[in-house]
Amino acid sequence: MLHRHLTLAIIILSLGWGLDAFGQQATEMFIPLGQSPGLSKGGSVIGTLESMDPEKHSVTVVSLSGAQTVGITDRTMIWLDLSQQKQPNRNGAINDLQQGRRVEVKVRKGDPKAVAEWIKVQVSP
Amino acid sequence: MKWPTWGQWYQRVLGLIALSCMIWALSAVSACVSVPVPATDLVSKGREIFFNETFNGNGRTCGTCHPAQNNLVLDPAFIATLPPTDPLFVAEFNPDLKKNFENPKLMRQFGLILENLDGFDDLENKFVMRGVPHVLAQRTSVNSNQGPRTGWSGDGAPGDGSLRSFATGAVIQHFTKTLNRVSGVDFRLPTEEELDAIEAFMLSLGRQQDLTLPLPLKGIVAKRGQDIFLDNQLGKCNLCHVNAGATANFGAGNIGNANFNTGVEDLPDQPADLTGEKNPPDDGFGRPGDGTFNTPPLVEAADSGPFFHNNAIETIEGAVAFYDGKAFNNSPAGRALAAADPNQVGIELDGTQIVAIAAFLRVLNALENIRQSLELLESGAKTSFGERAEDRERIKRAVSETQDSIKVLENGGLHPDAVTHLLKAKESAEKAHSSLFRRRALVQQAVDELRNARTQLIEVS
Repeated sequence: MLHRHLTLAIIILSLGWGLDAFGQQATEMFIPLGQSPGLSKGGSVIGTLESMDPEKHSVTVVSLSGAQTVGITDRTMIWLDLSQQKQPNRNGAINDLQQGRRVEVKVRKGDPKAVAEWIKVQVSP
Repeated sequence: MKWPTWGQWYQRVLGLIALSCMIWALSAVSACVSVPVPATDLVSKGREIFFNETFNGNGRTCGTCHPAQNNLVLDPAFIATLPPTDPLFVAEFNPDLKKNFENPKLMRQFGLILENLDGFDDLENKFVMRGVPHVLAQRTSVNSNQGPRTGWSGDGAPGDGSLRSFATGAVIQHFTKTLNRVSGVDFRLPTEEELDAIEAFMLSLGRQQDLTLPLPLKGIVAKRGQDIFLDNQLGKCNLCHVNAGATANFGAGNIGNANFNTGVEDLPDQPADLTGEKNPPDDGFGRPGDGTFNTPPLVEAADSGPFFHNNAIETIEGAVAFYDGKAFNNSPAGRALAAADPNQVGIELDGTQIVAIAAFLRVLNALENIRQSLELLESGAKTSFGERAEDRERIKRAVSETQDSIKVLENGGLHPDAVTHLLKAKESAEKAHSSLFRRRALVQQAVDELRNARTQLIEVS
């Protein structure tokens, strides 16, 4: 039988336990807004960007279930969805979070601060 | 009663010949219709998609890298048998994919596939080269307490990260016509229904449950290997590969599939590095990565090498020996094991012990091959004449599984008595595959020989 602190040591030193979700970001970038498998039908927030608060590092999105404010950090990925123009999606920036744009936001699972893991911004033709 | 005239005899003989021809023609037609089988349920629909759907991309299917005839994995020997026009080699003949899509040299020499797991913003420099894992026993291998873990580092799928979502990421990474990767232009994404079907198919592959070790093995070397495997003070294998599967248990209950930094990236003289080709370090899980990779199931390991995420080691003996080396014992996982050991030792094995563990894994793999062969052959016995094509396909797969079991045992110098039975089983199954009238009898012969082989490997109650 292994010692209790062996259990802890092995888990802490060796396990990839820091991240709570395993969704791969690299290919996610190329999935058009609203089509993310297992997410877009209830696991993410899809709506219109109502406001952006640079001081509080947050955005408010209005979806069918109401307004929701989510935090943004340096690790939040912002992607521009250009699939409607048949152009490749690309990385975006805070400046692209403009009022009135349609967005999809994935919030980190179980995060009480509701921080966005990624935000897709639809760029209309 | 009047005897028929010569003319009537002639007509009857002609009729019999015509009837025989019709039966042969029907047989030939059904034989030509190999895979896919008709999509009668979600699994067969998933099988059809997995092996035939290109998603309007560059011609690849899931089966391009997970070929049914090669244990659903790629290795250099199999790659060498493919024609130059095979979509696996699309980077060699599609000008849009010539650069930064694959490395043909590393693909052909070591079965390595290019992945942009840390993003697509610097294709020239930001990529990793990974082997293709088999997709057997997914039902027992993917789930963890934190969520599903797919691919080599546990983060292979976009969306919710599930096995169901994996195909979407694979299409974007591997099926694209150009490096623009525009949905609707360079490929189409799988539909919800297709993802359901692919997931159902993948979950149907291989073992549906983990073994319960120890098994009553007959071979003394494999039996000793099993003892070492299960010994938490010696082999310590069972901590992270419970019952030779892909789940971990450190004494406080099974935590499901788990990620570890075992130091594979620190191995010296990695084959791909020896070529001089660009081969950036692989940082594993996450973006940026934390250096960890998840555990694959071991029951299916012996016939699905090369081993580890970078195909660094060719043989199962070499893969076991890795855990006795510096790269592992200096890794976070190796140091954690040492810290918990009364003698501060990580894993310390001698040559005979390494070979014994490998022999155990070879026997486990052969037993799994035999189980699958029996399942395939016995399910064929229940089919009707109209399902002959499906039955022939099952027999073909059983032949392939049996051949694997022969190879796995022979290459380890194990159980020549069992190998003799397996060779007979294979011969009978091959005959059954091409026989019209003696198929069932030949299948039964193959089944009997497979059972005989199994009794040479394990005590059967």
